[in-house]
Amino acid sequence: MKKRCKLLVTAGVLLALTLAGCGNNQSAGSVNKDAANAKPQEVQTLTVYSAGPDGLAANIQQAFEEKTGMKVEMFQGTTGKILSRLEAEKNNPVADVVVLASVASMDGLKESDQLQSYKDAENATKINSDWSDAEGYYYGYSASALGIAYNTKNTKEAPIEWTDLAKSEWQDKINIPDPSLSGSAVDFLFGYAEAEKSAWDTIQSWKKNGLQVNGANKEALDAVITGDKNATISGVDYMAYKAKASGEPVEIVYPQSGTVVSPRAVGIMKEAKNVDGAKAYVNFLLSDEGQKLVTDAYLLPGNKEIPVKDRAALGEIPQLPVNWKGAEAKQLDILTKFNDIFR
Amino acid sequence: MIMEGRRTFGLLVTIVATFAIAPLIAIVYYTVVHDGHLDVSQINRMFDNDRLWHTLGNSLLLGILVILGTTILALPMALIRTKTSLHKFDWLDIILTIPFMTPPYIGSMGWILFMQNNGFLQQLMPSATWMSNTFFSLFGMVMIMSLHLFPFLYLMLKNTLLRINGSFLDAALIFGRSPWRNWTKVVLPLLVSSYVLGILLIFIKTLAEFGTPATFGSRIGFQVFTTEIHSYLSRWPVDISMATSLSLFLLSVCLVIWYFQNLIGRKYTYSVLSGKTPAVREIKDKWYIKLGAWLFVGMVLLFSIAIPYFSIIVTSLQKVRGNGLSAGNFSLASYQAVFTSGSAGLSAFLNSVVFSILTAVVTAILGLFIALYIKKGETKKQQVLDFFSLMPNIIPGIVFVVGLIMFWNAPWLPATIYNTKAMVVVTYCVLFLPYSVQYTKSSLSQLDQSIFQSVAIFGRNSWDMYRFILIPLLIQGILAGMMMTFIISMRELVAGLLILPPSVKTGATFIYSQFEQGNVGVGMAVAVITVAMTVIFMFILDWLQKRGGWASA
Repeated sequence: MKKRCKLLVTAGVLLALTLAGCGNNQSAGSVNKDAANAKPQEVQTLTVYSAGPDGLAANIQQAFEEKTGMKVEMFQGTTGKILSRLEAEKNNPVADVVVLASVASMDGLKESDQLQSYKDAENATKINSDWSDAEGYYYGYSASALGIAYNTKNTKEAPIEWTDLAKSEWQDKINIPDPSLSGSAVDFLFGYAEAEKSAWDTIQSWKKNGLQVNGANKEALDAVITGDKNATISGVDYMAYKAKASGEPVEIVYPQSGTVVSPRAVGIMKEAKNVDGAKAYVNFLLSDEGQKLVTDAYLLPGNKEIPVKDRAALGEIPQLPVNWKGAEAKQLDILTKFNDIFR
Repeated sequence: MIMEGRRTFGLLVTIVATFAIAPLIAIVYYTVVHDGHLDVSQINRMFDNDRLWHTLGNSLLLGILVILGTTILALPMALIRTKTSLHKFDWLDIILTIPFMTPPYIGSMGWILFMQNNGFLQQLMPSATWMSNTFFSLFGMVMIMSLHLFPFLYLMLKNTLLRINGSFLDAALIFGRSPWRNWTKVVLPLLVSSYVLGILLIFIKTLAEFGTPATFGSRIGFQVFTTEIHSYLSRWPVDISMATSLSLFLLSVCLVIWYFQNLIGRKYTYSVLSGKTPAVREIKDKWYIKLGAWLFVGMVLLFSIAIPYFSIIVTSLQKVRGNGLSAGNFSLASYQAVFTSGSAGLSAFLNSVVFSILTAVVTAILGLFIALYIKKGETKKQQVLDFFSLMPNIIPGIVFVVGLIMFWNAPWLPATIYNTKAMVVVTYCVLFLPYSVQYTKSSLSQLDQSIFQSVAIFGRNSWDMYRFILIPLLIQGILAGMMMTFIISMRELVAGLLILPPSVKTGATFIYSQFEQGNVGVGMAVAVITVAMTVIFMFILDWLQKRGGWASA
């Protein structure tokens, strides 16, 4: 009888040890957090949920950690994934800072009272006010313009207009990122449908021409890079510029009638545990140093004074007039409409 | 004698219940209870949704077609490996399990890259353009999934055929009239029960599959249940209660199928193990049988391994993907990127290794105790524990993952492991406990009762019995189970996608995210490294099992 107990105890201890072993990291993290509140000189952790691009997020994380000595826990995913993770964690919030690839979704977070205002962020006045919230709930620290990314090997004549892609030479050769995964694709559909009366007819004509809905942004662009498709509608420009820089046969055009520039915004969660760290992170993104990192990733900087390299500057891109305020509800309708057509 | 008594039962059931049953209860609770009172409107909302019936139809159709596909592959293969001169080549069995061990989403990616417009096939054979369109249809999806799942059915059929080969066939040869009649009256009926069991498991595995539908299915617009649940959880706008209702529905479907499987299993199981070792006869094939057999094996290997791996390896080596297969377009840059210290790919891969080792250790310990308690499952309690511990095998992984998320996010829990690495290990343990229980149980069943009796007479106490007798005898089974758990944990995708804490990636989620946002070449390099390691482990596993067979002979 005793022996059996001994055995069970041994097993129990082993189990507990293994579980404790793997739980260690995290619990150490939260202990640190608590301790840090008491003693500010200790290492603090900051949890950031960031919607790509991978390389940029990692560079910012590294530069920020070096500058402040703070440890950043990063969750990277598409805008859709981050929003759903926030939703799933409502009982048990984790994130301090969110970075989304869509201002409309950011506005949605503000409307549902999940963000806190940080009005006196450093450099806030230099940041494009069209992309940011007037009350300081979020700042559009960068943006990408959405265009038509096409394969230069397989394309004889580059497309100039959105409607070009309904022509027969593009039949079964076009795709679009899935808007329920890609925040920028929703932004595009929303902006295009708002500004162009005939937008849905054009979308229908793409569908007739064999438009394929192709996963997240990179998946759609990869299909063009490998030549499976010839053009991506609502292709994210910084990804195309980056692929082009590494030698891939890809080019991006912005149609003359105008396109959507989709701002990427940063905000601080209302339930943030490390508010000081979150503020420091926002300041860093808006600083000249942060803005330079943004342009290195081929994104448009929120601060117009920072020069861009190897890409079209904001002024050179024909834009559709888009009002992002209160866009989230309308975006949901657009998403539903799009899904009804394509799924 | 060993592992008996109420307290042991209580402890084991508590562990299993907390980790495996509670998530399922959480799903039911979140589906039918709202604000503290019963509310079935959620279920009505689900049934009102046209997409439900559409995806259910898709899932069931896929299941049936995959059963057909795996049968076409597995049955001839089992016959070839038992009835022709190819029965000697045991190495074929290891090679044939590689497709099953390949993470399904990686296999499908390989196929997509091979078959798409301007893909590797068209670059090698420009005249093959017409094949692309045919391939990107339900046909291609069934083919990929059948190629992935057939080894499972093949091994079941082969083992049954090997056992029938013994005295049954001798008796049939002596008393039977013609070889044809022997076949239809003796072999086939004996084969039917294991075939039916096999295809029902294939059906459940197809319903539970996430990787291929997520990659290939989304491309051809073929939504199934698992991808639907995942999209309600991970796409904007999120609908958690819809996800739990769908999980509950899928759970019910699988339990019904499992019930039928049990019914059939009990009704049509014959004792084919007569104790006589099958005589090894020299088989002389006619030349065309031999040729046909090799052709079939060759085709299966080409389709299940050569083609997908060709794409995966080539992609991991390409410099400029847009330049396709051309001289000078190859480099090891992706591998260099992975092996740079501190690279995201390497740390993701190492995370996977650590999670998988922990999972293997924890499930081995738990599995041993559970197996020792269950023994042959004679008492009610033993059967209950047996059922609970094997349940994750018949319930799709995504259902458990949803349940675990709901359970560990419950507001009344004093502490939670959600958003920690422990959550990952717990999830893996729940998902893969059945493997270690099964492996340990089967090696336990090989021990003769006389061992326990002699221990009872000569042994000093039960502690010594474990240390000097039971554990040494079971260790090979336990190690095989650990190895299997390790391999399967290494490729787990859907749990990782939904539960990993910030800053943590596993090999599988890293590869997957490279397709979404990052660098496909680096993703494929990690895939190649993962699979290479898996294959090495499989050879070790085989060696362990062979040694086991030799030792007990």
